[in-house]
Amino acid sequence: MPITHEGLAREFEFVSSPGERKHISEAIDGTAPIMQELAYELIVGNNTEVDRLAQEALADGFTANQLLDDGLLNGMAIVGVKFRDNLIFVPEVLVAARAMKAGMVHIEPILSASGAKPAGTIIMGTVKGDLHDIGKNLCIMMLRGAGFVVHDIGVDSSPDDFINAAQEHSAEVVGMSALLTTTMPNMGRTIAAFEEMGLRDEVRIMVGGAPVTQDFADEMGADAYGDNAVDAVDKAKELVLLLAELRSS
Amino acid sequence: MSPVIEKMTSRERVMAALAGEPVDRPPVCTPTNVATVELMDLVGAPFPDANRDGEMNARLAATAYTELGFDTIAPYFSIIQESSALGCDMQWEQKDNWPTVRMSNPIWKGSSDVKIPAGFLDHPDAKAITDSISILKQEFGDEVAVVGKTMGPWTLAYHVFGVEPFLLGTVDDPAETMKSLKALKEITILYGQAQIDAGADVLTVPDHATGDLVSSEYYRRFLMEMHQEIEEELSVPLILHICGATVDRMPYIAETGMAAFHFDSKNDPVESMAAVNGKIRLVGNINNPTTLYARGPEEVRAEVNAALDAGVQLIAPECAIPLKTKLENLLEIPAAIEDWVAEHRLN
Repeated sequence: MPITHEGLAREFEFVSSPGERKHISEAIDGTAPIMQELAYELIVGNNTEVDRLAQEALADGFTANQLLDDGLLNGMAIVGVKFRDNLIFVPEVLVAARAMKAGMVHIEPILSASGAKPAGTIIMGTVKGDLHDIGKNLCIMMLRGAGFVVHDIGVDSSPDDFINAAQEHSAEVVGMSALLTTTMPNMGRTIAAFEEMGLRDEVRIMVGGAPVTQDFADEMGADAYGDNAVDAVDKAKELVLLLAELRSS
Repeated sequence: MSPVIEKMTSRERVMAALAGEPVDRPPVCTPTNVATVELMDLVGAPFPDANRDGEMNARLAATAYTELGFDTIAPYFSIIQESSALGCDMQWEQKDNWPTVRMSNPIWKGSSDVKIPAGFLDHPDAKAITDSISILKQEFGDEVAVVGKTMGPWTLAYHVFGVEPFLLGTVDDPAETMKSLKALKEITILYGQAQIDAGADVLTVPDHATGDLVSSEYYRRFLMEMHQEIEEELSVPLILHICGATVDRMPYIAETGMAAFHFDSKNDPVESMAAVNGKIRLVGNINNPTTLYARGPEEVRAEVNAALDAGVQLIAPECAIPLKTKLENLLEIPAAIEDWVAEHRLN
């Protein structure tokens, strides 16, 4: 039994797909008890415990990467599965995200100082006319956790805002979020603006948000659709690889 | 629906459908609205002014009936009129974007802050809608159903507390959340009653406890009883509106006593009809962003037919439509209903 923490073992039982069970159990297998505890406290949204455990683990000599990979991200992987499978909803994800932030406060400064090569550079924003940012912020948190440099341009972002930020930061990926069916068409307008400026081949564009579907993403000409924050990380990794291949061919 | 029913006026058709009575054909309804940029240009009533001026608002709202042939007129286009009157930080936008509340700058922190300002109903942004309803009632009388709209406590909570603080609060302190919702419910009732007094035949109650954000258990725990209370307080038929995936909470929604539930295209119409089990009428559920906005009349017709085949009683776009939706797609909705009815009479 790779998972020794009772609570985490219980949470792991919510992961039903054999592939995901294998992937997550391999990630947890052999991790220290305090890392499993950290993962569990994140899942249940206990931010004060995550804050305490993160400090304790660092003081005990665990590295920032261990805390991130073995603790927080393993917890977030189970949160992501539970959210996708409608076992939990946004309030429960928000408390988990708050707990993750409580841990990241201690980890981020160490990671930033280490100078590790980022997984890629991403511009993230909510489209014009839409002021919702919960989904976008969750994605940003997961992307940063996965090693991406993310430039958050906020809500109500015009096509020019996305274009300017992508150019300024030489971004590989642009991520657009929308919560309203009334503002979703602005994703298509933003993609069209990249085309008009002759910049469409310079970046890969991904979209997401509660009402957004794969069909809609295809209709608007996006390169990828992220169904949730965990999926957004996978899609961003794929897009960065794809762009690198395109650039080298 | 029965072939022996004589031709009804739009208003008769809508009121009968909402009461579960026979109709000459299923009505085409606008529980949210069908304002578009094209219609704004046609009648010289652009956003944002058409949200804030009663006369201009009435002119644009009437196009749902006069230009599109819908059976309802719904003058409250957005979801922000009460929130503006409460003092929320507003972004009124331009003609081609919806006005919205800047929820990152919430005005209140908790239930004790919830106070209805003196003169709330006379605030220009609250009054624009009641003025418009009076105008529309006078102009269209018994011909067409005038559908008002009053925001439910859950949606008001997003606006006044901010979405994230409010949702975090539901986990951290559910009792406090209930207190806030109870206080906000009074605004729902107050503004709803004002619209009834102005002449509204029907009220939509948007209350976005959607499956994209919260569980069905949340709906049962926080809102089901509150919606029953709202239904008891307001005397006209109510249409509850919740966007997104809702089929898991439809059995609870069906217990509210409301006349109808306006549902989203994320929910299969056959499955939705089974979920409500005849206890509430369904209104919907033509997809907006993909079908009405981006595709053509053929796809619109297919969705209208699917809803009618499933037994959906009132046909409507799933929510407020994108402002650049093509009119030909909207016109296809009543045309498809007429054809479906003709075909089923022959068969």
